[in-house]
Amino acid sequence: MLKTSPLCGFVALLFCAPLAQAGVAFNRDIRPLLSENCFACHGPDKDNIKAGLRLDQREWALRPAKSGDRAIVPGKPEESELLKRIVSGDADEVMPPPKEHKQMTKEQVALLRQWIAEGAHYEGHWAFQPPQRPVVPPGEAPHPVDAFIRARLKKEGLAPAPEAARETLIRRVTLDLTGLPPTSAEVAAFVRDSRPGAYERVVDRILAAPAYGEHMAQQWLDFARYADSNGFQADYSRQQWPWRDWVIDSFNRNQPFDEFTVEQIAGDLLPDPTRSRVVATGFHRNHRLNGEGGLIPEEWFVETVIDRVETTGLTWLGLTLNCCRCHDHKYDPITQKEFFQFFAFFNSVDETGTLRTENGKAGAGNTDPVLPLWSPAEEKQAQILRSRVREAESASVGAKGGTPELKAARAEEKKFMASVPSVMVMKERQEPRQAFVLKRGEYDKPGEPVGRGVPASLPPLPEGAPLNRLGLAQWMVADTQPLTARVWVNRVWERLFGVGIVKTSENFGAQAEWPVHLDLLDWLAVEFMRPSVLPSVNGASASRWDRKALLKFLVLSETYRQSSQVTPRLMERDPENRLLARGPRFRLSGEAVRDQALALSGLLVAKVGGPSVRPYMPAGVWDETTRYGDLRGYKPDQGGGLYRRSLYTIWKRTAAPPSMLLFDAPTREICAVKRSRSNTPLQALSLLNEVTYVEAARALAQRMFREGGATHSARLAWAFRVVTGREGLPGELAILEKGLLARLESYRQQPGAAADLIAQGASKADPTLPVPDLAAYTLSANVLLNLDEVITRE
Amino acid sequence: MNCNDSILLALSREQREAVSRRTFLGRSASGIGLAALGGLLNSAGAAVSPEEKPLPHFAPKAKRIIYLFQSGAPSQMDLFDPKPQLESRRGEDLPGSIRKGQRLTGMTSGQKTFPVAPSIMRFAEHGQSGMQFSHLMPHMSRLADDWCMIRSMHTEAINHDPAITFFQTGSQLAGRPSLGSWISYGLGSDNKDLPAFVVLTSFGSGRKDDQPIYDRLWGAGFLPSKHQGGKFRNQGQPVLYLADPKGVDRGLRRQTLDEIGGLNRAHHAVMGDPEIQTRIAQYEMAFRMQSSVPELTDVSGEPQSVLERYGPDVKRPGSYAANCLLARRLAERDVRFIQLYHMGWDHHGGLPKALEGQCRDTDQPTWALMSELKERGLLEDTLVVWGGEFGRTIYSQGALTETDYGRDHHPRCFTMLLAGAGIQRGKVLGATDDYCYNITQDPVHVHDLNATILHLMGMDHTRLTFKYQGRNFRLTDVHGELIRAILA
Repeated sequence: MLKTSPLCGFVALLFCAPLAQAGVAFNRDIRPLLSENCFACHGPDKDNIKAGLRLDQREWALRPAKSGDRAIVPGKPEESELLKRIVSGDADEVMPPPKEHKQMTKEQVALLRQWIAEGAHYEGHWAFQPPQRPVVPPGEAPHPVDAFIRARLKKEGLAPAPEAARETLIRRVTLDLTGLPPTSAEVAAFVRDSRPGAYERVVDRILAAPAYGEHMAQQWLDFARYADSNGFQADYSRQQWPWRDWVIDSFNRNQPFDEFTVEQIAGDLLPDPTRSRVVATGFHRNHRLNGEGGLIPEEWFVETVIDRVETTGLTWLGLTLNCCRCHDHKYDPITQKEFFQFFAFFNSVDETGTLRTENGKAGAGNTDPVLPLWSPAEEKQAQILRSRVREAESASVGAKGGTPELKAARAEEKKFMASVPSVMVMKERQEPRQAFVLKRGEYDKPGEPVGRGVPASLPPLPEGAPLNRLGLAQWMVADTQPLTARVWVNRVWERLFGVGIVKTSENFGAQAEWPVHLDLLDWLAVEFMRPSVLPSVNGASASRWDRKALLKFLVLSETYRQSSQVTPRLMERDPENRLLARGPRFRLSGEAVRDQALALSGLLVAKVGGPSVRPYMPAGVWDETTRYGDLRGYKPDQGGGLYRRSLYTIWKRTAAPPSMLLFDAPTREICAVKRSRSNTPLQALSLLNEVTYVEAARALAQRMFREGGATHSARLAWAFRVVTGREGLPGELAILEKGLLARLESYRQQPGAAADLIAQGASKADPTLPVPDLAAYTLSANVLLNLDEVITRE
Repeated sequence: MNCNDSILLALSREQREAVSRRTFLGRSASGIGLAALGGLLNSAGAAVSPEEKPLPHFAPKAKRIIYLFQSGAPSQMDLFDPKPQLESRRGEDLPGSIRKGQRLTGMTSGQKTFPVAPSIMRFAEHGQSGMQFSHLMPHMSRLADDWCMIRSMHTEAINHDPAITFFQTGSQLAGRPSLGSWISYGLGSDNKDLPAFVVLTSFGSGRKDDQPIYDRLWGAGFLPSKHQGGKFRNQGQPVLYLADPKGVDRGLRRQTLDEIGGLNRAHHAVMGDPEIQTRIAQYEMAFRMQSSVPELTDVSGEPQSVLERYGPDVKRPGSYAANCLLARRLAERDVRFIQLYHMGWDHHGGLPKALEGQCRDTDQPTWALMSELKERGLLEDTLVVWGGEFGRTIYSQGALTETDYGRDHHPRCFTMLLAGAGIQRGKVLGATDDYCYNITQDPVHVHDLNATILHLMGMDHTRLTFKYQGRNFRLTDVHGELIRAILA
């Protein structure tokens, strides 16, 4: 049976330079070994050092341990106790200890030996050094991405794949950038367009579509833990959709990523805090709010602030700050004290940190600080109603329970306020709250008081930056910040290629996977911050941190445009396609699968923005696990609400839409920066039987009749082309035609069943079409919408 | 057809289904040739984590678990842990020497006094073991010689959401995988037509605003989402989207699946991506589930005598009794982790009457389930667990009268019951002090219980890990000791 060791060795061989190459590179070859196998006990957590030995920094590693032995003697591996211990056959001596279930391979030991022999040189962790722009490998290809990738492929003895067919390419890039398929007309136009720049024109057109912003916002909602409920226990509703609108708009107007960042972290603290900028700060009010009876407010205030720290770390910095709330980080040079210095930026919002809506009690609605989004007329009205309440209050002094006039005035004000949209935002208190190190991360064990600060292993706040959230945000996007640009560029890469240059896109610390193309990653990070070759998009030249320009740049590369055919050799050599000797091929997200079906069927309602809607969801999903709270008794919308894009679906955290959870959507209870991509029978059941897809199949079948021509074969060919983007091969169309004819037989004999099928869904079946035929075609459309290639972007 | 096709085709359908490229390459960046595939499958055809030696780590005692979670926290002193001598202290303020500064929830921390509320239930010894149960459990007490009772459970959480989350995921804070998904990840499914992890929820006599539960309790956390618990719904279709739409019979559905399969195979011949083959296999599994699940949930073939054992509620879908019957049927079909949640135990007030209702909901069906398992020879390799998220306070929440009292949450001691595979029979472990407030003997923590459950399933809790955010996470975090005193 395969054991751990050969696989790790395989990893080392695949992604490290061959051992024959002179010189061991510390960050690439040694740090990952030390981090994985040693740091937990001999690493940066200074309070938990075993045997007085620290291996994460050279000055410590060279000192004798408590026993007097020297773990590392530079240049003298035979005298280095570290090597003796890791190959020891004695269970009491061997390192790591057997109970850790880690064992180093022969290849890894050889690397360590060579490293010590060569002088045991350390390097600072790669992700904490500001990226330098490396030289693009010359003579490979005009596009820098291709140059880097091809130089590496050459080294590995691989060749790039040919370009994908035009139909495949336009479908791929349209789905990648908008989450929707191209129309047949768009496909045909691109296939026919022989003028130079045809593909670039497609990309520009797509980047200008509002659907682009919606699709990009969808992923951002995962990071932001956006939901329409407060979370916990009864899970009452809240109203944060105006913030979601802000995100969509920010992507569509191509707001630079640095401004996007600063406004969400600290829009309220900018010199000119416009309404838009304040709404942006809703990012850090998207966390859950606990209103459970019996909770201890201090505890949940702390959890609220900690959520902001952890979310910021994961989303922008690729740091697992959650690992140092209770103790120093075991792998990264970040202390618990620094965690709480980071905490100190976020703990002075004018809030309780718990759920307080109606009458200061837990219930449905938004919790202060809240920004009402009224028009000037509405604001006037609100002021009038407020002054009426005040008058009634002074008039009713002494009257127990308040006069009827007071009750009426209050009720009217409340009703009015409920009709005005509002959004939860950040708003600082006058006086900051004192922060403390919390011992073992526990809310009721304050230790040393701390002020605001950033980890010492990263650059300091920029010159002149204020010591508040605004300064922190500026620090996150400063030129000197080594993490943010790399992390974001890696995320964009992950989105387009299926897996990041750094596979552990959630973690750029010492335990991160070594980047498969570090030079390319750094080049892209620098280019993103200070563009020199990023293209203009729709006539606008690239700005710094230009999101559309970055996307366009990547999709224009030949690497992106490669065919995604897998050969057996590639499956053996590079099954996860890290080297990119072929185009990426992977399943669409659950949201894109649904949106695509709606688009292809013609049912999609393209309206952008606004309150969340209620598409189909099985009865009782909200009620099975709770019998109180206001998010119960789910009734789907009638009309347009059923057919909006999935990012608008109302989201209750404790009972999230099952059709999305089945497709790996996170519950939105906490920040999630990466989704798994599963392949399960429950997904199959959903795509075959869920009313959304059955109705979409029927609507698509109706289109087949209206637009597909007069014969079965014409209609099937039309539908195949519309749904997959390509012409069906004769063998494929034959399969479909055979199935259709058999069904026609069946349904003509069972008109009742046919009628039942086409009645699925809220929209009415076209009465001019013969019922059995429509039913038979509905199942043909059902087949097409279930094809692997349709729910995949190829 | 390429060489990898032939290797894949040489595997049984089960093995092909169990292994998708992602399943076993999910965390390792290495390129395992498909030729190595066969070696990575254990005898049940389940994929194993390449980071670990094949699972299980050692021979399991239990092939399956039935976890009967009693949500809301059953009152231990009114059911399992009698303190008759407390009657003489009725109404006295709980001494500080007993409370020892324990943090109270916001619901009672404002009380001026904490009057001792002795249980008004009647206790008796049962069976050869003499295990004590209150009169509210006439049925479960008949199995006194099968149960193992742990009176010394303890936890840190004092409120429901974090406490149940802690029991199920090993952390009070959201984001970690549940016990069932760890087991699914480690061992896969023994039944090729049903999921490895099934969840059944029920309401009974509990009050309308008793504690809810949440998807996260059976969620997969950071494990691949296929390991999330499959919740059988308590109304309507048991599994979502299982039934074909109206107007599509099995024949028509089979035909469409043949078309989808045929087209997918044709496309695979062009694209070569093994994910396509996995998808074909998953569609076939879906088709099989469309028969296997209704077959499972259709209890009309059960003899009347069997149904009667579970009590009158068995006919009401979504009742605890109906779920217990389903649990036995799931066990017969080798579903590995069967978890029931019965809500309504959170008795802050009106406890005596409410507790009676909860026991009426659960006592007889639990007995029926256990007896059936015994009779069918399933108890020997099934682990049964019964309990809630924490205990209740000996002092009354709200007014104490001769006949009525309430109890607040109490993390420091509570009782759980286990039975079946690998568990000593008729055993009582642990003891609490005279006030049923502190543990005096053999404390057992939530992590210890979870470590023991994994152990009985054949897994070392310290070796069942998943690398996430650079750390090898496990269900028991860095804690958990086996409860050796109860192991057979």
